[in-house]
Amino acid sequence: MTDQQQMDLRKDEVEAGTQTGLASPSVDVTSGRQNSLWSDAWGELRRNPLFWIGAVLGLVFTLMAVFPQLFARGAHPRSCDLANSRATPSAEHWFGFDQQGCDYLANVVYGARSSLIIGVTAVLVVLVLGVVVGAVAGYFGGFTDGLLSRLADIFYGLPLILGALVVLRSGVLGRGTFAVAIALAVFGWMTAMRLVRSQVIAVKSSDYVAAARAMGASSPRILVRHILPNAVAPVLVYATITIGVLIAAEATLTYLGVGLQRPAISWGLQIDAGQDLLRSAPHLVLFPSLVLTLTVMAFIMMGDALRDALDPRQRA
Amino acid sequence: MTRPERSTSVLPGTATPVLEVDDLHVEFRTRSGVVSAVNGVSYSLSEGQTLAILGESGSGKSVSAQAIMGILDSPPAVITGGGIHFEGRDLLTMSPEEQRRVRGPGISMIFQDALSSLNPVYSVGFQIGEMFRAHRGMSKRDAKKQAIELMDRVRIPAAASRVDDYPHQFSGGMRQRVMIAMAIALDPRVLIADEPTTALDVTVQAQVMDLLKDLQRDTGMGLILITHDLGVVNEVADDVAVMYAGRIVERGTVDDVFGNPAHPYTDGLMSSVPQVEAKGGRLLPIVGQPPNLAAIPSGCPFHPRCSRRRLGDAAAPGRECATDVPPLRLVAPAREAACHYSEEVLGV
Amino acid sequence: MGRYVARRLLLTIPVLIGASFLIFALVYALPGDPIRALGGDRPLSPAVVAQLRDEFNLNDPLVIQYVKYVGDLLQGDLGTDFRGRPVSETIARVLPVTIRLALVAIAFEVLIGLVAGVLAGIRRNSFFDNLVLVSSTLVVSIPILVLAFVSQFLFGLKLGWFPIAGTQEGLYSYLLPGLVLASGSLAYVARLTRTSLAENLRADYVRTARAKGLPGHTVVIRHTLRNSLIPVITFIGADIGTLMGGAIVTESVFNLPGIGREVYNAVRAQEGAVVVGIVTLLVFFYIFFNLVVDVLYAVLDPRIRYD
Repeated sequence: MTDQQQMDLRKDEVEAGTQTGLASPSVDVTSGRQNSLWSDAWGELRRNPLFWIGAVLGLVFTLMAVFPQLFARGAHPRSCDLANSRATPSAEHWFGFDQQGCDYLANVVYGARSSLIIGVTAVLVVLVLGVVVGAVAGYFGGFTDGLLSRLADIFYGLPLILGALVVLRSGVLGRGTFAVAIALAVFGWMTAMRLVRSQVIAVKSSDYVAAARAMGASSPRILVRHILPNAVAPVLVYATITIGVLIAAEATLTYLGVGLQRPAISWGLQIDAGQDLLRSAPHLVLFPSLVLTLTVMAFIMMGDALRDALDPRQRA
Repeated sequence: MTRPERSTSVLPGTATPVLEVDDLHVEFRTRSGVVSAVNGVSYSLSEGQTLAILGESGSGKSVSAQAIMGILDSPPAVITGGGIHFEGRDLLTMSPEEQRRVRGPGISMIFQDALSSLNPVYSVGFQIGEMFRAHRGMSKRDAKKQAIELMDRVRIPAAASRVDDYPHQFSGGMRQRVMIAMAIALDPRVLIADEPTTALDVTVQAQVMDLLKDLQRDTGMGLILITHDLGVVNEVADDVAVMYAGRIVERGTVDDVFGNPAHPYTDGLMSSVPQVEAKGGRLLPIVGQPPNLAAIPSGCPFHPRCSRRRLGDAAAPGRECATDVPPLRLVAPAREAACHYSEEVLGV
Repeated sequence: MGRYVARRLLLTIPVLIGASFLIFALVYALPGDPIRALGGDRPLSPAVVAQLRDEFNLNDPLVIQYVKYVGDLLQGDLGTDFRGRPVSETIARVLPVTIRLALVAIAFEVLIGLVAGVLAGIRRNSFFDNLVLVSSTLVVSIPILVLAFVSQFLFGLKLGWFPIAGTQEGLYSYLLPGLVLASGSLAYVARLTRTSLAENLRADYVRTARAKGLPGHTVVIRHTLRNSLIPVITFIGADIGTLMGGAIVTESVFNLPGIGREVYNAVRAQEGAVVVGIVTLLVFFYIFFNLVVDVLYAVLDPRIRYD
């Protein structure tokens, strides 16, 4: 039987039970529901090969960002010899050499760090903005909600790359790693805000929050005890996927010339430098592209698997 | 309340049945194991007869009805044995196309939740008219005329002006009437009503049941009423079959079964609902949980919850409740029950 | 419905003003002096600079500049760039390219995404279904930047199937960039269609349709597809607005003279009037297509009523 049918059956049982006096009234408390949600989700995740592929890729990428020397096979990204310029991959140098004759594997490996820092920082800022603005809008409703929702609309209308492009070009945030992260977050917080807002509204109007209020729980207490735990699951899924999306966006901005600047080591810079040599040395574009793609894929796969695990309705 | 005279008995062989279910077995095969939803169910239905099938959810009553209609989701559901004969022909050996042509003009069905059972994006007139277009090849316009007539017949006020309305624009009771209109459109010989009033207010429930009874009297169709509501059974059914864990555990006329149950489960059901006559008395719930269909208890499936069970040396030879499966047997004239100790339950 | 549309249109005004002011303020903050930069090697005389600054309202405070800009905008005047070309002419030149590109992308979303999603949804857990699931994850994970270069290299340079840049070959030039631009949405459309269809196939009204003895194709097309495609169609509709603003990378890599490349060049050249004009237009498109979609929703699903 499908999960849907099983769920229907369970619901029917409760209904039938109350009619025939068979079932005792079920007591649903938030913490109990949450515990079973997470343990069910973990059981589901463990059996999902996509999750493991994503997790392994993500782990490799994180290790690469923290300990790049482990992956660079003894080469250093800045020790270069022009004699090797644009040499193709070999057994000694898996990714070949770039225009300046630097070992390309080392360069690509050392590029992971700035991507990770920007991806994680930007998502953290997105979460802080999204949770705060979303919770305030959802909890207070009315005029506050209208104002904040319109504000989100304004930012929604501006494409992420375009907005970040203009902000970074204007220089109001300065330059460098954190400027890029903040620029991405400023134009990327709206979905997190809507997620939190809708969760807050859904939970706020639910029976158990009404019960908590009737028992005299104060507003901030209700917000923290009941509403936020319910918003964690969708926000976590969103955040995981968004790390990947923002890493891709960083590479794009850097490629467009407003992100990281030389002498930083970054995949976007490598793709940008390689594009003019696409005919003669395609590996200069292909290797950073490949690693960038695998990194983005790691987070999207983990996020997808997490969503399937946390939302039983999505399950196959 | 007075009932029309009982037409036939539920027991086989007493009248020419229009529908016969014979030792039906249905399983759900899932990743997590095999669930035995229906385990050898047999019953027959004659013209004009109302047979109530009573049981909790998970007792197999809806699954057996969906097997008759040929609308089980397969996979995971598999009919593993038995036969379903409609007007003498076995539905299970028919081609899918032949089966399809029985659905509607031969057997039709109404469901518990009319709101979700009607397609939200088509008008009710269109959905009723589909019966005529699919089975009679009628034009769209003629089908709509027929739909209006049917809506009149199921007493939907101002049918002609509401025919283009959508399901969500009707009240719960009116929506169920739309379902009924659709089901009776082609004068079926058998109508299966799966919890037709469960989702409705009590007053509306009575109106819908009255409508069903009137339509049955006019057309002489057989009616299978699937429900867990003892009150509804008592008011409209001729015969009742009580299901537990995919089996029929007791059947007979409503008066007999309700007057003096022959199975401890039926007895438990009767004691667990409030009755006007027994006002002030205590309600006695049946202890324990409904059976897990993936692991049905050995012996009598009801024995873990049965207050009359006899285990080990206390049991008569061959009648140990935890090991010996009780067969459905004649326990009194025109009554069957699947309990080793029915005579005790009956108090004879 | 009419009142709803009117109210929604009114609500777009503050959003449009907010978005254009935001961009205006950022452009105002752009570094350097564009007027001086305009002179290049031969410095302009102070008198000319002062005159130009005055002409472009560069001496006013930010808010005053913005109000003057909106005032001109309402009279249909989007201003001129620093070389004196009207911004409206620039937009008229580049907009058709982007519209063509977006339409090609939408066609791919429907042809590939929707069809793949329907086939996967009907045959759940089949080989094809799993193929769609896995490949959509892969496609979503490839950044457009990477996809643009890889496809340009593979299909343009190596295989020679498509032109690698420009619009010289008419519609044919748009196919590869259109596919690249569509890729993410295309994968999403496939998944959305699949999920929606699979969900609807389990719906009670589909069971009813079968119980009515309707023929199989009627059950699938009339009672499942029709309902399942509502969210898909609305997504595709809203995506037109998104695609138009999301073509910066694609147009730059494939060298298509559309809105994306134009706005990118304008940002780099600090052409404030062009940036603000184009961004305001893009925000308007985004809002407009979202409104169209909401109205479409009500047309497709009779349960939705806005009044």
